[in-house]
Amino acid sequence: MTPPTGYWSDAPDGVILLAYAQGDGEAAKVLSARLLPRVLAQATRMLADQAEAEDVAQDAMMRLWKIAPDWRQDEAQVSTWLFRVVANLCTDRLRKRRGVSLDQIAEAVDPQLSAPARMQENARMRALSAALADLPERQAQAVALRHLEGLSNPQIAQIMDISIRSVESLTARGKRALADSLGKHKTALGYDDD
Amino acid sequence: MMTKSDDDFLDDLFDAARNQVPTVPDDLMARVLNDAHFAQTAPTRAATSSLLAGILDMIGGWPSVGGLAMAGVAGLWFGVAPPAALSTWTAELIGTPVTVDLFGDTNAYFTEALTDG
Repeated sequence: MTPPTGYWSDAPDGVILLAYAQGDGEAAKVLSARLLPRVLAQATRMLADQAEAEDVAQDAMMRLWKIAPDWRQDEAQVSTWLFRVVANLCTDRLRKRRGVSLDQIAEAVDPQLSAPARMQENARMRALSAALADLPERQAQAVALRHLEGLSNPQIAQIMDISIRSVESLTARGKRALADSLGKHKTALGYDDD
Repeated sequence: MMTKSDDDFLDDLFDAARNQVPTVPDDLMARVLNDAHFAQTAPTRAATSSLLAGILDMIGGWPSVGGLAMAGVAGLWFGVAPPAALSTWTAELIGTPVTVDLFGDTNAYFTEALTDG
C-alpha cells in the first residue's frame, strides 16, 4: 500500500491516533501505513513464522485502536507502546510453542546436502526463534529489542519499564545463553567450528 | 562455509534477522483497517486534515510544535471543530485531571518477576 502523502506526513503518531479516536476517516489508513510494516517486521524477527507474525501484528494494531480513546499524547509515544505490546505478544507465542525444540530444528538441516541458501536462511531464523523461546521472557525481549531491532539501551529501558542497568544485564545474559544453546548447532546451521 | 567464533556466528544470525523486512501483505492491511473501522466508536467524520493544516500553517507547521505543546495543539483542534459527541470527552481532557491506565490490559503480560534482571 502506498503511504498516504500530504498533510499528515509530518504529524506525530499520537495526534493522528487522537484524530482516529474522534472519528477521522483517514487516520487509520495513515497510521497503518506508517506502523504496520515495523510491527510486522518486529514480530517476524522474533517468531520466524509468517502466519504467527501476521497474527501478532494484527493483534497489536487492534490493541492500538482500542486504546485510542484513552491515549494521552503527553505521556507516551505510540512507537514505544507498540514495541512493548509486540514484544509481549511474541514472548507469549514463544512460551506456548510446543513440540519443536532447537535440537529438532537443527537436526532437520543436513549440512551435507547443498541446501538452497534460502532454506538454510529460514532454518537459521527458526533456530534463533527457538533459542529465544528457551530464554526467560525478559531476557528474550531485551535481546530481541537490542540485537534484532537495533534499539539503544535507554530506548529498551523505556519500553520494558526497567533501569538501563537491568537492560544491560538482561541483554548480556541473554546473548550468552543464545551463544551457548545455538553454538551446539553451529555446524548444522552452516557454520564451521574453529 | 565460514569459520566463526561463537559470538561472530551469533552476530551473523542477528544481522540476518535484522535484514528480515517483510512486505505487508494486502490482506493483512485489509484486516487491520477493517478492525480499525469496527473499533472506531466515534461517528466517522470527513478527514480533518484540511482544517488542521490551516491552523498549523499559521504557526509554522508540525516541526515548530514540540513536546507538550503537541497536546495543546490537539486540544486547539478539538476546541475549534469538535464533533457533537466530543464535548464530554474534552471536558475530561482539558478540565479535571483524569488518571488513565495507558497500557490497559497489557498489564496482564507483566506477570514475570524481575528476578532475571
